[in-house]
Amino acid sequence: MEFSIFVQLIVLGLVRGSMYALMGVGLSLIFGIMEIVNFAHGELFMIGCYIMYFVAAMLGLPFPVGILASGIGLLIVGVILEKGLISTLRKKAGREWLMDSFVLTIGLMVIFQNLALIIFGAVQRGIPNLVYGQMVIGDVVFIYDHMVILSFALLTVGLLWYFVKYTSMGKAIRATSQHSEAAQTLGIDVSRMYSIAFGIGAALAGIAGALLITLFPANPNAGMGPVLKSFVVVILGGLGNIKGAIAAGIFVGLLEAFAVFFLAGGWQNVIVFSIVIAVLVFKPAGLFAPAGERP
Amino acid sequence: MNLLGSPQRGMNTFRYIKVALVLAFLIAVPWLWRDNRFITTVFISALMFGIWGVMYDLQIGYGGLINFGFAGFICAGAYGSALSAHHYEIDPWFCMLIGASASGVLGFLTGVVTLRLRGIFVGLATWFLAEVLRLTISNTPGYTRGMLGLAVKPLPDVYGLDFSRAALLPYYYLLLILVIIIFTIAALMVHSKIGLSFKAIKEDQLATETLGLSATKYKLINFTTACFFTGLIGAFYAHYIGILTPDATEFGVPRTVEVLTVAYVGGRGTLWGSILAGFLLIGFQEYFRQLGAWRLVMYGVLLISVMIYAPKGISSVKKYIW
Amino acid sequence: MTLEVDNVTSGYVKEVSILRDVNVVAKEGALTGIIGPNGAGKSTLLKTIYGYLRPTQGDVLHHGKSIKGLKPDQMLGQGIAHLIQGHSVFPAMTVEENLELGGWIIKHDRTALDRALAEVYEHYPILKNKRRMVAGAMSGGEQRTLEIARLTMTQPRTILIDEPSVGLMPKLVDTVYEEIVKLKELGYTILIVDQKVHKAVDVADYIYVLRLGQNSHHGPKEEFVDTIEDIIKEWI
Repeated sequence: MEFSIFVQLIVLGLVRGSMYALMGVGLSLIFGIMEIVNFAHGELFMIGCYIMYFVAAMLGLPFPVGILASGIGLLIVGVILEKGLISTLRKKAGREWLMDSFVLTIGLMVIFQNLALIIFGAVQRGIPNLVYGQMVIGDVVFIYDHMVILSFALLTVGLLWYFVKYTSMGKAIRATSQHSEAAQTLGIDVSRMYSIAFGIGAALAGIAGALLITLFPANPNAGMGPVLKSFVVVILGGLGNIKGAIAAGIFVGLLEAFAVFFLAGGWQNVIVFSIVIAVLVFKPAGLFAPAGERP
Repeated sequence: MNLLGSPQRGMNTFRYIKVALVLAFLIAVPWLWRDNRFITTVFISALMFGIWGVMYDLQIGYGGLINFGFAGFICAGAYGSALSAHHYEIDPWFCMLIGASASGVLGFLTGVVTLRLRGIFVGLATWFLAEVLRLTISNTPGYTRGMLGLAVKPLPDVYGLDFSRAALLPYYYLLLILVIIIFTIAALMVHSKIGLSFKAIKEDQLATETLGLSATKYKLINFTTACFFTGLIGAFYAHYIGILTPDATEFGVPRTVEVLTVAYVGGRGTLWGSILAGFLLIGFQEYFRQLGAWRLVMYGVLLISVMIYAPKGISSVKKYIW
Repeated sequence: MTLEVDNVTSGYVKEVSILRDVNVVAKEGALTGIIGPNGAGKSTLLKTIYGYLRPTQGDVLHHGKSIKGLKPDQMLGQGIAHLIQGHSVFPAMTVEENLELGGWIIKHDRTALDRALAEVYEHYPILKNKRRMVAGAMSGGEQRTLEIARLTMTQPRTILIDEPSVGLMPKLVDTVYEEIVKLKELGYTILIVDQKVHKAVDVADYIYVLRLGQNSHHGPKEEFVDTIEDIIKEWI
């Protein structure tokens, strides 16, 4: 294959990959900290799309404001959901927590999707681009929009990384996920940590929704594709494994870029999903998990 | 037959009467309103979702297995039957059996491969499996007609009964017979020694295994049986509805969620609850039809409420009424 | 500071009391041990003192002040720290991060936190050497030392310890009790709940025996040293 095409596919793959990584990291975080398989992740993404549309298209503000608004908006939504519904279920559920919380999030998905349909209608509301134009180096085309998505995604993941690793709240959240009882005896407010963790996971989904509005216009079903892809990323990377989610996101992005190039339209999903099934069966801890780790 | 044989648990006169009343209702009502196509279709939908709910409940309520790819097994049964009839000139009545077997075999293979995994992973694996199936059908229009739609032959007339879909009553009574057979088998299964094993495994898999019971074997029996019958009704669905498309709303997550809601509202671990929930939810859907998407919002709220406040679903209120 | 349990009746469910009219006094600067057969209510007692359970009757006093039903961060504010049973390090975090989290309630005061950290490193040089090591990679005994050191980060006055030897290899058990005695020598008031009767009597200054949720006998260590076997026989 021509070198320039190869580079182009790599670029495309990285852009897609960064987007998948962003979506997957939030989901993985929520699972890692709270042991919730959040099927409503796609709807959180969708709400992010709508906030971005409202801020950037309707109010006409610069797009970074839209991204920020989505992040903050979803942070609030996430905290409210956690404090209102999820913590209530947590008190009642016992051993069936994983499956029960999954079904709870399914219910949330149904509600959000249909509320969006009622409030906004099925109309797709998109923005043509965040930044107009492109740059050509040699034979390779770099679309500015894609570059913006890539840089903001990296920035967001970088900020998250910093937060989780170096801030005291990030450490407290990690401690809570590793040993919640011990964390409690040290005076850490464990239920508050859960709310914040879920809020952050939601914010990440919202930011992804905002960033990707040029590719996924705001509409009630905007979350359906992303949620599938988020789960692909999280399963391949290992549930709860943030580094894995990032690596898996990029892997899937690259894989898809090349697959679409070589195969006809619908098959790249079949391939990716089959890989997911294989991973679930043979290495449930994920492709990027340390050896010997049990799920 | 019942080791737990306290009067409340086994069958007794009171229970036989209740079952008879329910059957009478199911047999009589569509006959009395036999000229009303609408009532017939509502009853067919209710009964279909009801028995699918029962199968879902068999898997989650008795087997502890979350089958988030449930729609995929309906799909296997539907397409299995439809394609056999379409391409190979086989009698559609027999094709239904082929469809059920396809679903059963798929269930068996899925089970073999996933059942040793933790619950949630079974859910994720079945979800993606259903998607792979659906997308494969979509991507092979040469064989399946994909999104263009596969027209399914109606069942050939038997015993002078007209299955041409001119009147749908024969389809309803066929479904009712299938439902009675499937439900009876499921009920016998859960009240037998096999069912006792299901219960023990669900309570404490590790302890049960130390007693020499193969958890995987019993989960496999549970899963395969449920998938076989799910496929059978899926095959019925194909010949009844007349056209199949590998759409997400038909054979994807939305369909699985509908069945899941029926099973949860009916109460996990109570087979009959799903039949009742099927009627309640389909009836509810029809009654509130003009509310459009609000109905689905209510569905979601119902699911969450049941999740948090009434894990036993309808059966928790049953004792006050029936 | 003295910790007093005053006529406490407590349980997990309102109708069923596991402890009835229990009295315990843990004198300042002393090591008080609570022993008793399984099901005697030792864990329940500790949970009641620590605020996980609220007594239906009676009170828990620390330095004269009622602490019943306080939340963990309030307890730490009153100078009471609690070491739970079994492993409690944060396994994927470093020794230093574990210790810093021990100082969670004083995290806003960087100087106090640094000072506490320096003191810990002085008393526990092995932790200083391994400060950047991931806690889960350390041996069982080292982890226990970390847990105990972590307790001291907020400069508590009173420490509650639940079954110190559970989950430890036998040869490490002695080390743990040595650490606990060292804590006592530093002036902490310590209340231990323990299954290992011999060890508890060995390190304690004062012993309470709990049986079926009520006080059985109590007294200074000397009274128990020779009668341990008889006491244990009584329980069987």
